[in-house]
Amino acid sequence: MELNFLVLFEDGNFPYLLKGLWITVKMTLLSLLLSCLIGLFIGLGRMSKLNWLSGLCGLYLAWFRGTPLLVQLMILYYGLAIGLQIDLSASMAGVLGLGMYSGAYVSEIVRGAIQSIDRGQMEAGRSLGLSHWQTMFKVILPQAVRRMLPTLGNEFIALTKNSSLLSVITVEELMRAGNLIVADNFKYFEIYLGIAALYFVVNYSISLGIRVLERKMAVEGVRV
Amino acid sequence: MIQIEQIDKYYGDHHVLKGVSLHVEAGEVVVIIGPSGSGKSTLLRCINYLEEIQEGTIQIEGKPIGLLHQAGKSVPMPQKDLNVMRSEVGMVFQNFNLFPHMNVIENVTMAPLTLRKMGKPDALAFAKELLKKVGLEEKAMAYPDNLSGGQKQRVAIARALAMKPKIMLFDEPTSALDPELVGEVLAVMKQLAKDGMTMVVVTHEMDFAREVADRVVVMDGGCLIEEGKPELIFSTPLQPRTKEFLRKVLTKEE
Repeated sequence: MELNFLVLFEDGNFPYLLKGLWITVKMTLLSLLLSCLIGLFIGLGRMSKLNWLSGLCGLYLAWFRGTPLLVQLMILYYGLAIGLQIDLSASMAGVLGLGMYSGAYVSEIVRGAIQSIDRGQMEAGRSLGLSHWQTMFKVILPQAVRRMLPTLGNEFIALTKNSSLLSVITVEELMRAGNLIVADNFKYFEIYLGIAALYFVVNYSISLGIRVLERKMAVEGVRV
Repeated sequence: MIQIEQIDKYYGDHHVLKGVSLHVEAGEVVVIIGPSGSGKSTLLRCINYLEEIQEGTIQIEGKPIGLLHQAGKSVPMPQKDLNVMRSEVGMVFQNFNLFPHMNVIENVTMAPLTLRKMGKPDALAFAKELLKKVGLEEKAMAYPDNLSGGQKQRVAIARALAMKPKIMLFDEPTSALDPELVGEVLAVMKQLAKDGMTMVVVTHEMDFAREVADRVVVMDGGCLIEEGKPELIFSTPLQPRTKEFLRKVLTKEE
């Protein structure tokens, strides 16, 4: 059997894959948003002086980091629907699953970056009369976000790749689009290589985008 | 203005401040000296309650700060009230602690814009006035990392003054500076003292103490061992430990 990459462009395959790619990008962006919110909340919560709060956030981290994403997705989509009659749509379950999973990792990125900021910054803010949270949002976080960017970029890329798992819970994203085409024409090598190339293009663009963002946020003369 | 009565502070088992009392009058400049580890920075940081105390009272203009004594029990003050009291006490740190992601004028205007009901034009005008006072009006748009240590510390002074504090605390403000930059910071502090600001200064600059202080306080081992007019402390110290300390620092200076 000889290889025929033209199959990518036959039978409306390419537009179908692009449609899958668009869903992949959409799902990833929504999950990223959720993941950053969860990450910020859990990361800050873990540093709280309230023991119950930091304990709870620690538990969240341990659970979502300690169980496979695929299993979490299965629980969310099939488990909840059949066991508890909570019927989430596939994309809803997908965004929730990806966001909660990735949020655990982002919380560690947030916490690490905040703790890397010099203690004197908090003291300076407090000495001026700002509250803990005012200092956090006006002084600490703007500096911490800059330090988070490179690792956050990594997480964003991992999220894009992990979104391929959503194919298992019937989200019509890129991977599933590929699976469906392959089931029809058995061109495994060509189609999956094509999909890989599409993922690569997205992720490479992300890494370029992060680099531009980093440069933009680097204030003149500030060493971070 | 400031009344510290019998305060005790512990870090775990380590007794850092042992029943220290100190009164500072309005407009007075008090300089705290003493060997390192004597608790002088800790005492200063207790005044705006960046350090907690376990016993005693600290009052600013008759209002207790930090630890409240109610019905025979000591309870920590609500954070909200603490923030209000801190906004009236300026502090200058050894390591400047400027906000590196903001330029000079933003550093100075951030707190008044956040906490005072002040319009942006007013805050900017006042900040410019303060920068002029510390001799840095042309650096308003610069970022802290592009300033020299002396310039940073003068910005830090302007930032503290922007809240119109009643008291200024200085925690070794020149210790992190190259020797040739110390003068410019001390000059600003001298001017501030002349303008009638109530100041408490922890420093190793004995010339500044001699020249500017109304009163010098000597600390050693967590206790306040001696206080008095600078000319008396420097010429005829009563405590042998003061004598020993002064001999060490003054011979180093020459």
